[in-house]
Amino acid sequence: MHSILAVDDSASMRQMVSFTLKSAGYTVVEAVDGQDAYEKAQGRSFDLVLTDQNMPRMDGISLTKKLRETAQFKTTPILMLTTESSDQMKQAGRAAGATGWLVKPFDPNKLIEVIQKVIR
Amino acid sequence: MADTSTDNSSAAGIDLSQFYQVFFEEAGENLENMEQLLLELDITAADDEEMNAIFRCAHSIKGGAATFGFSDVAELTHQMETLLDKLRRHELVPTPPMVDVLLQSGDALKAMLGRHQGNGGEQVDTSELLTNIRAMVAGEAPPVAPVAHVPAPRVEAPVAQAAPVAAVPAGAAPTSGKRTVELRVGPLTDMSLADNLVELFKEIADLGTISALPDDPSLAGYRRFKVDTASNESDMLDLFTFHVAREQVTFLPFGQAVAAPVVAEPVAAPEKGYGFFDDAPGAPSANHVATPVVAAEAAQPKPVAPAAKPAAPKVDKPAAALEASTIRVSVEKVDQLINLVGELVITQAMLAQNSRGLDPVVYQQLVTGLTDLDRNTRDLQEAVMSIRMIPMSTVFSRFPRMLRDLANKLGKKVELVTQGEATELDKGLVEKITDPLTHLVRNSCDHGVEMPADRLAKGKPEVGTITLAASHQGGSIVIEVRDDGRGLNREKLLSKAREKGIDAPDSMTDAEVWSLIFAPGFSTADQVTDVSGRGVGMDVVKKNIASLGGTVEIDSAEGYGMRVSVRLPLTLAIMDGMSVGVGEEVYILPLSSVVESFQVSEEMVKTIGGSGRVVEVRDEYMPVVELEKVFQVPRFDYEHTSGIMVVVEAESGRVAMLVDELLGQQQVVVKNLETNYRKVNDVSGATIMGDGRVALILDVGSLVRRSRH
Repeated sequence: MHSILAVDDSASMRQMVSFTLKSAGYTVVEAVDGQDAYEKAQGRSFDLVLTDQNMPRMDGISLTKKLRETAQFKTTPILMLTTESSDQMKQAGRAAGATGWLVKPFDPNKLIEVIQKVIR
Repeated sequence: MADTSTDNSSAAGIDLSQFYQVFFEEAGENLENMEQLLLELDITAADDEEMNAIFRCAHSIKGGAATFGFSDVAELTHQMETLLDKLRRHELVPTPPMVDVLLQSGDALKAMLGRHQGNGGEQVDTSELLTNIRAMVAGEAPPVAPVAHVPAPRVEAPVAQAAPVAAVPAGAAPTSGKRTVELRVGPLTDMSLADNLVELFKEIADLGTISALPDDPSLAGYRRFKVDTASNESDMLDLFTFHVAREQVTFLPFGQAVAAPVVAEPVAAPEKGYGFFDDAPGAPSANHVATPVVAAEAAQPKPVAPAAKPAAPKVDKPAAALEASTIRVSVEKVDQLINLVGELVITQAMLAQNSRGLDPVVYQQLVTGLTDLDRNTRDLQEAVMSIRMIPMSTVFSRFPRMLRDLANKLGKKVELVTQGEATELDKGLVEKITDPLTHLVRNSCDHGVEMPADRLAKGKPEVGTITLAASHQGGSIVIEVRDDGRGLNREKLLSKAREKGIDAPDSMTDAEVWSLIFAPGFSTADQVTDVSGRGVGMDVVKKNIASLGGTVEIDSAEGYGMRVSVRLPLTLAIMDGMSVGVGEEVYILPLSSVVESFQVSEEMVKTIGGSGRVVEVRDEYMPVVELEKVFQVPRFDYEHTSGIMVVVEAESGRVAMLVDELLGQQQVVVKNLETNYRKVNDVSGATIMGDGRVALILDVGSLVRRSRH
């Protein structure tokens, strides 16, 4: 079973994402911000990281950068969930090493659809 | 759901409504957080991290609202976010009106969320707020005509579109100076929306001139215009957003090839709403790459955006961390737990009492066990009671906002200082103390603190200070409301009292004079303002506090300010009591009201004016309350040759109670008599004693009143 690290500082979004992913048969580990996610990512690997962009303590961009510096996350797909869809943000995401982005708000179907493109 | 405007609750077979409650709670927390941050914000030196935190609150609410389909909430938060984004990027300088409008928006959001939760309430009209925020976002534009000229906004909710489109391609055109540009608007579902922009140019002459260009068949859903203007593009954009979403507007150098490649990609993107970066780690194989546009753009020498500057790893408000380590439990469950522990305490006391006669040598193990049980029960009780305790900050937090609005209204300058926010108080008390405190704070602001000019004339700082301080003192909590205003005027109070027909001799002590303001119908302001009002007086405040078992005291120094101290028991569920025996009966007196006790002989008690009796204590005569008469229970000492007097004190004075014996002090679990039986005069509750008997807890205030009037 594929495991996904879902990172969002909003409890409602986190629950929704987590529920959607679990319904689709994935194992989900939740994190409340970048820092929490980074700590939870230590010493284990995930098949996908799904992270919000704007969060306290550590944002999605910094998380992505830090994960890419970690051996087991060199090639792990990292998707950014974001409401800031500007090119500027995408540039930053790309520069940090993100795999792609998904614009909030999104339909749960769309989330699964996008995820199935990167993990099978 | 009272007002859900969309039906995406069944997307993907997942019922989104199951997340609504979490969203509402989270949004409520975010709103509170935002309000607090806004109130604390020093607009002359706004900290980046603070601005970011405020932005994040609006941002987070918007994200959730858009996801769960509360489009009205999303629309307003989107506008707030736009303003906050400009502020945190230092594109705009924060001003007091901005803070005001953001606070008002917060109020509107609370009301909207309340409606969505089915709490009813008026339909919230946000059009004015939206207009104001948009005007502020556009605020930096001096050449633009005032917003009032703009026709009433008919706005599409821009959020719902979530189009990941760059509004103004960087470097596509000069952004100001007299020039000709092509304005492209789309994709539009209703093409006539673009006509509003033409109207806009007609109304605001400074904007320049506009003329329609022929539609381009390769750009379905788009309208094109030729614009001659000297205004900068962001100003124009801000005006256009009254009619079309920001993302739908593109400026191009006039005469550029019709099929502009820059726009081509973003058009496709809104439908997808996602994308992968070319060659990025973990990206799907080439066939799946949706829009490699960013890769293409990345090739241009463009510095990496500063937008992604990570939030400073400063010690953060522990919102997220707290969330993970707390759970929400209904008050009912906690109360049930408290009740059960109360019963356990009684059982334990009963065992302790019954075992007192046992020989500790023979029953050593039993006695040790009972001692442990005693300690554990006490600890358990304390731990359980602490669940109901919440910090005073939950009460204090509402005051900065209230005081700010109030001071604005009165034209005064007031700063609020809070101390001891961490002091904990029973939840039931917290709920009931809020209104009296609100009244006291209003009074301080309205009647206490002077107008800025008056303060300066008196050599005081222009800004008045109102201090809210909470602290533990013994078994009580003391909440003080202090101000550095004008204080109370003794002469004014005395003459006012006489006017009202209250007996007020000049010999009254200051404390007695100050307490005149608690007399019903007493108001010292020369004019009754709409702030402190006329309806609820200080007498009601005092009554409310007394009903919580609390007292109020006033200190004042004319010209320097006043202090109102409210003393409350920590909890209503447990009380330190002194048990006294009258004949066969046991009564409990609240320990906080017991002053002293002494033995009396018959000669010390004198009968006056028929039935009244007084006792002389250190040259002072005090009314005697004979519990045997009040409750009609026979005393052991029916000849009344001697007895024990317990002096108790209440707000209206002291009395001496004649009892047979003092049984001891203990913590008692207060049981409400009214809910279990009915209201009984002079009795405030009941408790179960260690031996299983019921003892009545005396209402000292009522007994004192009865004897003194």
